[in-house]
Amino acid sequence: MNRLDPSSRSRARRWAPLALAAATLLGGCKGTETTSGGAGDVGGTVVISTPGEAETLVPGLVISQGAREITDLLFDRLADMGDDMNTVGDKGYTPQLAESWQWAPDSLSITFHLNPKARWHDGQPVRASDVRYSVALMKDPAFGSTGTSLITNVDSVSVKDSLTAVAWFKKRTPEQFYDLVYQVVIVPQHVLGNTPAAQLKTADVARRGIGSGRFRLAMWQPGQRIEIIADTANYRGRPKLDRVVFATAPDFNSAAARFFSGDADMFEQLRPEQIAKVAADSQRRILRYPTLQYAYLAFNMVDPKQWTRPHPIFGDRAVRRALSMAVDRRAMLRNVFDTIGTLLYGPFPHALSVADTTLPQLPYDTLKARALLDSAGWLAGPDGIRVKNGRRLEFGLSTPSSSAARHQYAVLIQEALRRVGASVRLDETDFATWAAKQGSHAFDAEMAIFGTDPSPSGFKQSWTTAGIARDGANYPAYSNSTVDALLDSATASFDPARTRSYARRAFEIIIDDAPAIWLYEPPTVAGLHKRIHTTKLRADGYWSDLANWYIPAGERTARDQIGLRSAQ
Amino acid sequence: MNGFLAAIRPPLSRLARDGRARAAAVVLLLVIGAALLAPLLAPYDPTAQLDIVRLQSRPPSWAHPLGTDQFSRDVLSRLMWGARISLAIAFVAVALSMTLGILVGAIAGYAGGLVDAVLMRLVDTALSIPRLLLLIAVVALWEHVGLAALTLLLAGTGWFTVSRLTRAETLVVREKDFVVAARMLGASPWRILTRHVLPNVAAPGLVAATLGIANVILLEAGLSYLGIGVRPPTASWGGIIQDGAERVGDLWWLTLFPGLAILLTVFACNALGDALRDALDPRQLPPPLGDDTSPQRR
Amino acid sequence: MRRYLGSRLLQAVGVVFLVTTLTFLLVHLAPGDPLGAALDRPGVTEAVRDQWRQQFGLDRPLGEQYLRWLANVPRGELGYSFSHRRPVRDVLLDAFPRTLLLVGLALTFSFALGIGVGVLQAERAGSPRDRWLGRVLLLLYSVPDFWLALLALLLFAYKIPILPAGGIVDPVLHDYLPFGRRVLDRLAHLVLPVLTLTVLSSAVIARHQRSSLLAVLPSDWMRTALAKGLSWRDAVRRHALRNALLSTITLVGLSLPALAAGAVFVEKVFSWPGMGMVTVSAIGARDYPLITAGVLIISVAVVLGALLADLAVAAADPRVRMR
Repeated sequence: MNRLDPSSRSRARRWAPLALAAATLLGGCKGTETTSGGAGDVGGTVVISTPGEAETLVPGLVISQGAREITDLLFDRLADMGDDMNTVGDKGYTPQLAESWQWAPDSLSITFHLNPKARWHDGQPVRASDVRYSVALMKDPAFGSTGTSLITNVDSVSVKDSLTAVAWFKKRTPEQFYDLVYQVVIVPQHVLGNTPAAQLKTADVARRGIGSGRFRLAMWQPGQRIEIIADTANYRGRPKLDRVVFATAPDFNSAAARFFSGDADMFEQLRPEQIAKVAADSQRRILRYPTLQYAYLAFNMVDPKQWTRPHPIFGDRAVRRALSMAVDRRAMLRNVFDTIGTLLYGPFPHALSVADTTLPQLPYDTLKARALLDSAGWLAGPDGIRVKNGRRLEFGLSTPSSSAARHQYAVLIQEALRRVGASVRLDETDFATWAAKQGSHAFDAEMAIFGTDPSPSGFKQSWTTAGIARDGANYPAYSNSTVDALLDSATASFDPARTRSYARRAFEIIIDDAPAIWLYEPPTVAGLHKRIHTTKLRADGYWSDLANWYIPAGERTARDQIGLRSAQ
Repeated sequence: MNGFLAAIRPPLSRLARDGRARAAAVVLLLVIGAALLAPLLAPYDPTAQLDIVRLQSRPPSWAHPLGTDQFSRDVLSRLMWGARISLAIAFVAVALSMTLGILVGAIAGYAGGLVDAVLMRLVDTALSIPRLLLLIAVVALWEHVGLAALTLLLAGTGWFTVSRLTRAETLVVREKDFVVAARMLGASPWRILTRHVLPNVAAPGLVAATLGIANVILLEAGLSYLGIGVRPPTASWGGIIQDGAERVGDLWWLTLFPGLAILLTVFACNALGDALRDALDPRQLPPPLGDDTSPQRR
Repeated sequence: MRRYLGSRLLQAVGVVFLVTTLTFLLVHLAPGDPLGAALDRPGVTEAVRDQWRQQFGLDRPLGEQYLRWLANVPRGELGYSFSHRRPVRDVLLDAFPRTLLLVGLALTFSFALGIGVGVLQAERAGSPRDRWLGRVLLLLYSVPDFWLALLALLLFAYKIPILPAGGIVDPVLHDYLPFGRRVLDRLAHLVLPVLTLTVLSSAVIARHQRSSLLAVLPSDWMRTALAKGLSWRDAVRRHALRNALLSTITLVGLSLPALAAGAVFVEKVFSWPGMGMVTVSAIGARDYPLITAGVLIISVAVVLGALLADLAVAAADPRVRMR
């Protein structure tokens, strides 16, 4: 976390004391507030404009970020990750549903003591059996959770008494605590348990969102909005905001339009030209938040039709390096993101502890690129496109039509590669088709974007031989045994310094092998109405502390007076 | 073919005296000329990215009269080259759909009975699916729809009304004395089709074709606007609007100019079609229901 | 009349059946994974995909899927929408009334406007007024509908921001407003989409109305009316209009597919979550059950519209009634 975006850090530092002071002043009101427009910092509505809608409110079935945001606010975990996003041991973790925990001497089990004041939104107490149910549910193949493979090291949970749960692990690992506490969201057995696990994805209870978080679900109008309101009797305290509305827009443009027209207070992904507009606006401001995503052009290393054979073009390392050198990454970054882009230096976003932006990069050098292609046997044909053994240097670039930034990059790269004699065919498909091709290595090259875990083990999924399998995320099918060994050592180490040094050596080899052209980190710049004051922003989700955002009483508008009343 | 020419000549001379038709023809010739001469007239290569940092998203200026897009490509050059694509698709698609429509209509009308019933029921079915929706479904669900396939799809969904027109005409002609006589003398159906049916269909067919071209230009633009028509980096009018649609507020020149080009061309085609119909039928009868002038158009 | 009605009805059912079968085949034979959109994040394993496929019967042969779908439709069971994560019926029950409102209003206004303009033109056929109105109508008839909608949006929502940019109601405040202001809110959101759609379709109707009027003007009873001393203008408005309306009723039926398609672009540009938008985004998301059901509903509406128009004409026109 040493490379967190500077601007958001300074903002976090600036607001934290203010928020603390406000909380102290308001101490007496906590828990007694039932209606709106409370004095001081309590009260107010935040409207977040989102393109697309949550698919479910059962945490284990969540796939999209939009649903993740809402379930994170409605549900709790046993403990919350610290601001440094540490994943080794339990350093920095603060209590949520568990008041405290003890490690067994052999570290194969951890005993969690639940907070006796914790209640589900329907009034039932949170019990140890809920913890057992939550883990068992997530491990149940019939449930079909996206996180099942992430908690294979968690064996089970046993119930000692109604407030004491014991989690059992198969092996002692650096990240066993993180695996359980971060990946498993605790859900109510009495609400979900009556529905067979296989039917939860379509059952009505999947849309009720009964959790134990500081916000509760107020309404879900399909295709229109999802509203959550303050849980006034919450064991962790009432949130400062009365209400958060996720207003669903059908696409990116109308979501942005809603923000600029004043119908919404926040819009998560501003484009560069919109940033300039917000910067000049007296009502709104820019909110940069860190991210764990990175975008790259991946070369498929294997033949899309026959995975055991190398790709006829990209199997050759020299070709991959030449094509990488033909792309002016900085100019493209400037073209697409103006001044707000962040260049990617390898398979890692800045925000990760193992990131290293001093690693040597392949240069932008079209002369060298042409020379490399010549010596690799690809010689210019009559129409300027290179040919080798009767095969043209022509390939498809698989791009999801839903992403404007990747579309723009694809067109820029198409032209850049044409200049060195490679013909790129833009295969633009809807997101689903693109994703299906990605998962089955059925592409020549693709515009990929990947969101890693806070843990360095995310790299093993995407860049080791083990990740080539269908369940992994090594879509380019990159395989290098030295890299495999180095990344294994990096994740097995309990010493952060050694983890970093192993990872650094692995990254150096990957960059040199050029399985991808490292393009950018998606700039995550939100627009926010100025009356809303934020607190800390974490890279795995800017909303992690949203319950403590506030709107000072003097700055409220008509929307903020709605309070906790329900719709007519 | 003499019958065909004879049927066409008087209306054409009436058309030449119509000011509206002359103006439309001039506009169309200009657009076609710009399209044909694009390689000579266009100031830049339509796909060349001139300077992706310094020349991107420039508003209209002397160097780039219609501005540049976000890839630093010259919009005027793209508009001229785009005319080639948009017009070529429209002309080829309409030629194909006219041929197909006339064939199916003539077969249905001439054969009658079960063949006629089945064919016309199919045409009825096809007409009750909105053409645009059908095209979107096919183009979006099947990937790699290239220019040729797109043209074929537009042709394949555009022949229904023409086939009805031809069928009706065939039914009338079939019972005429001289046709009955010709049949009895052993004239082949093909001969009857080319000698007697075609000349009668030629006039309304020409109107339908002119309006059909306008219609296909609009459809192709609509599909490209949805991002599923002509693929980048090839320039097409709808594609340029699509390039700018995400930023219509600040890159207005990407929406305005290609839109005007479409409007002008389609307007000219429709005006010519109207003038043609008036010239063919000076009494100004209403258009037969279901032809391309009815709101079936999309 | 009864036989006419019966055969017409049978034909309509046949058309709907053919359309939906075609759609079902088209959608299911297209390449791509129907679960793609629902499960397209890293970390979704093949086992999970298989389990979903099994639950929704997507692992069964195509014929079996088709028969099961066919058996379910009459009971209103249209399947489960993967992209909305709701039953298809619920999704369409939300979307259909919205399109009905939009298209219904636009249809009403454009008929009033179109017929009015058509009469204005026809009663002075050949005059400068007729010619100028004709040119304007032809221009509107030639304008790309998405482009007109974009311009309207640009002008009235961004440059002169007097109207909301899209949606049905204010996304937040609507439910908390007093009744009167809620009605106003709804109306404000209706203005731009209805206006765009009205402008587009009234051009079509006016052109049609003018030519049908011109077709009946030379008839005997017009000459009689004039001989009785009615002014040309009154004769046109009293007699000719009534006769020309018949063909305009037919136009109601015939204009439905065009309105459905025009509504696609208008709904998209103004974020109006009606049938057009739902169906088009379902195509993008490969939501098979929703696409099939969406096309089914749209074609039923279209066929039903044509049928009603035919029956109305039959009821009004003695020549047809006699058959």
